Amino acid sequence: MNQEKHFSDEFLNAFVDNQIAAEEKSRAYVEIGQDEALNRQVCELRKLHDLVQLAYREPPAPPARAASGTNSRQARLRFGVAASVLLTLGIFLGSQIRMPATAPSVTAVPVPAAATQQMAKAVPPAKPARTKPAAAADATDHVATLQPTAVVPAAEPAAVPAPVIARNEIPDNTATKVLIHLARDDIDQLSQALDDIESTLKHYRETRQNARVEVVVNGKGLELVRTDTSAFAGRIQRLQREYDNLTFAACQNTIERLAREQGIIVRLLPGVITIDSGMAEIMRRQNQGWTYLQV
Amino acid sequence: MRKLLTLTMLAVLTVLSTGCATMFGEEKQKVVYHINYNDEKQLGAALGNVKNHINAIGKDKIDVKVVMHGNGVDLLKIANTNLDMQQKVIGLKKSGVAFQVCNNTLVNKKISYKNDLFDVSEKDIVPSGVAEVANLQQQGYVYIKP
Repeated sequence: MNQEKHFSDEFLNAFVDNQIAAEEKSRAYVEIGQDEALNRQVCELRKLHDLVQLAYREPPAPPARAASGTNSRQARLRFGVAASVLLTLGIFLGSQIRMPATAPSVTAVPVPAAATQQMAKAVPPAKPARTKPAAAADATDHVATLQPTAVVPAAEPAAVPAPVIARNEIPDNTATKVLIHLARDDIDQLSQALDDIESTLKHYRETRQNARVEVVVNGKGLELVRTDTSAFAGRIQRLQREYDNLTFAACQNTIERLAREQGIIVRLLPGVITIDSGMAEIMRRQNQGWTYLQV
Repeated sequence: MRKLLTLTMLAVLTVLSTGCATMFGEEKQKVVYHINYNDEKQLGAALGNVKNHINAIGKDKIDVKVVMHGNGVDLLKIANTNLDMQQKVIGLKKSGVAFQVCNNTLVNKKISYKNDLFDVSEKDIVPSGVAEVANLQQQGYVYIKP
């Protein structure tokens, strides 16, 4: 029994749990082998140890599950952080890309009230896109009923913003946008200009390019689209019928000047729209990414 | 992991610096001259404008294209007989100017670029003059109508 004192309970537990150094362990094996009581004690301890092990073999699952829970929670947190970073980045980039697209349309907003009102008359607000002016529209719709002296206050305030909004809402996914500027009245030059316009439209159609062509007439060029002076009324109507991506736009400043200086009440060919100012339109369109040609 | 991060950072920096270099680096000025008229005096003046433009910038720093369509194609018809005009065209070509002719015009006016026009080869022909002017502007060429 004296031998027992050589080994404390702590030592024996450690022995059973296999937590002592090999050197000490071999010494303990010798002594335990010689002492029957000690041997029995160790045996009991071992049994207890095994039972505990057995009892814990099943339950350890819940703690393990709890651990994996924290893991997945961490993973979810990490995923969430990554997603929110990506989202923020996406919003930022999106706003960056949108900025230049929205900016030019803002420049198109300031249109003098007088011109806008005229546009409201020439282009019915219900029409969503400027690209397809109804060729069949009554020509009297396009008569510039102008009183040269009247400054034209905002008599119809509700009608004023309509055409401007319609203008900005044009779905603009066209790859090529060409503005052709006509400011001369020479018959040969106008004829050549129409040749150019037609061959360009034909070229874009044949090469399957999604293009829009806007012909801006001002100054003497306006004669091309006046019912009383145009030498090419039939040809213009045919072009408008054949190409729905073609628009003729007449300068309101020129129309007003003709009324003021020469008393001419301008009647435009059907389907020809008016714009506030030819020069302003040219600059606006270039800001919007249109290419410009003077023919 | 750290190595990967460093490499990524390096790659990003390289891309950024390249972007800055192209933004601020010296790029050629790109210009398209549009000619669609056949008045000899006007044409002579237009080629004079081009020459002065190149002299002002330096021929190594500018990329000029002269696009002719409609009556403008007559420029190279005139250059066949008018030696002064011919010299102007030759001089500008030496400075790197490209003279481009509209094929629509050649077809419509039944012009043979080989027989009727001065020094035009197939590479100088574009399908549509107007579309070419538009196309060049989309590529960043500045439009000038002299």
